Amino acid sequence: MLLLYITRLIDVFPLFLKGLWMTIAVSFLSLITATILGFLAGICRSSRNMPLRRAIGVYVNLIRGTPFLVQVFTIFFILPEFGIHLEPFPAAIIAMTIMGSAFICEIVAAGIEAVPKGQREAAISTGLSRNQQIRYVILPQAMRTILPPLVGQYVLLVKDSSIVSVIGVMDLTRVGWLTVQRIPEGMLVFGLVGIMYFAVCYPLIRLATRLEKRMSVEEYSL
Amino acid sequence: MIKIRNVNKWFGDLHVLKDISLNVALGEVLVVCGPSGSGKSTLIRCINRLEQIQEGELIVDNLNVHDRNINLTQLRAEIGFVFQQFNLYPHMTALGNVTLAPIKVRKMKKIEAEKLGRETMQKVGLGDKVDSYPAQLSGGQQQRVAIARGLCMRPKIMLFDEPTSALDPEMINEVLEVMVNLAKEGMTMIVVTHEMGFAREVAKRILFMDEGQIVETAPPNEFFTNPKHKRTQLFLSKILSH
Repeated sequence: MLLLYITRLIDVFPLFLKGLWMTIAVSFLSLITATILGFLAGICRSSRNMPLRRAIGVYVNLIRGTPFLVQVFTIFFILPEFGIHLEPFPAAIIAMTIMGSAFICEIVAAGIEAVPKGQREAAISTGLSRNQQIRYVILPQAMRTILPPLVGQYVLLVKDSSIVSVIGVMDLTRVGWLTVQRIPEGMLVFGLVGIMYFAVCYPLIRLATRLEKRMSVEEYSL
Repeated sequence: MIKIRNVNKWFGDLHVLKDISLNVALGEVLVVCGPSGSGKSTLIRCINRLEQIQEGELIVDNLNVHDRNINLTQLRAEIGFVFQQFNLYPHMTALGNVTLAPIKVRKMKKIEAEKLGRETMQKVGLGDKVDSYPAQLSGGQQQRVAIARGLCMRPKIMLFDEPTSALDPEMINEVLEVMVNLAKEGMTMIVVTHEMGFAREVAKRILFMDEGQIVETAPPNEFFTNPKHKRTQLFLSKILSH
């Protein structure tokens, strides 16, 4: 019986590859948009503009304080009530971007805070503009603090992408669901799903660990 | 060059600068000393607006520093500032440190800026260290790079905030030497320091501050041999006793 299931699983394996591809596509696209948005928000969060800081603070807390599943449902089922219809794929990207950027914002803001105050004062004293201070002096140093947790956040993003299967995105998790209805061997099917997620996440985990080690020992020298 | 009129500043309830008035002429070297917490660092940090003042007027090279509409970039480009903790950019080489502002603020071409940077590094005695990172340099060398970073903007004024206080004793002289040369070239300088040897050699006036007030201003000779104020005498007896 098990052998039969395995041969049938091999038959539907191309479907798993498609699901894997979709998971990677959703994760990768939202990873890019979330990173861009998260950095912008993080830089603004450490600016002197109080209303802007507060607004971003509210946004971050709101996103961090609600389940991702609820955010996905809100975007996919509640927005249409206001006349905004989205296909599952763009809805998934939007939800992941909003969620990811809120976390990345905090990582970036913390990294910027960790740069000694004297660095900014030195940059100010030579007449660099705010943007130049951030770009040439603050961010390059903050990246040391930002990178390890940022890569860690990417791992979470890949895993959280499984949630968008609920709105019909044909990702790895959804392929698993559909398959298990034809091949009632959950252990086997979701074992395979898990292995495929792991294959994507593990290199990232290793990268995060390596970055963390490197950043903690690395002095600024050759 | 610098005109300070009735300046007051508070940190919350703490009155850190009390009705300060002071003129510094072109080419003058003014040494500011006083016990810690007397407001001397705050005073020079107000001059390039690292700190805001609440009352009074501060004019540098005909620019009203605390005017809302002032072009801060222009102001700060004319004022070099050297910090106690050097504050070099650790991710850049010495040359990168000294050329960043000339390239980004003065809009110099990279080649020109690097030429200027090498010359200036030569001037502070570090011509062979242009490619070193701050972490590879000693404290004294780092502080000299920091001075070079200020000089590369070709400023009209240099401000020094306890430039030798974070240094090991054997490195103090190499930094002071650079500052002495600078003074002799006619740079307008305000130096917050307790290096009385330096003050005696190059200062035109010494200003003594305590509790946010200017207690006494006098030429070095008079300041050391005949201080008028009790608090100055007490301070001098403490720092000159050994």
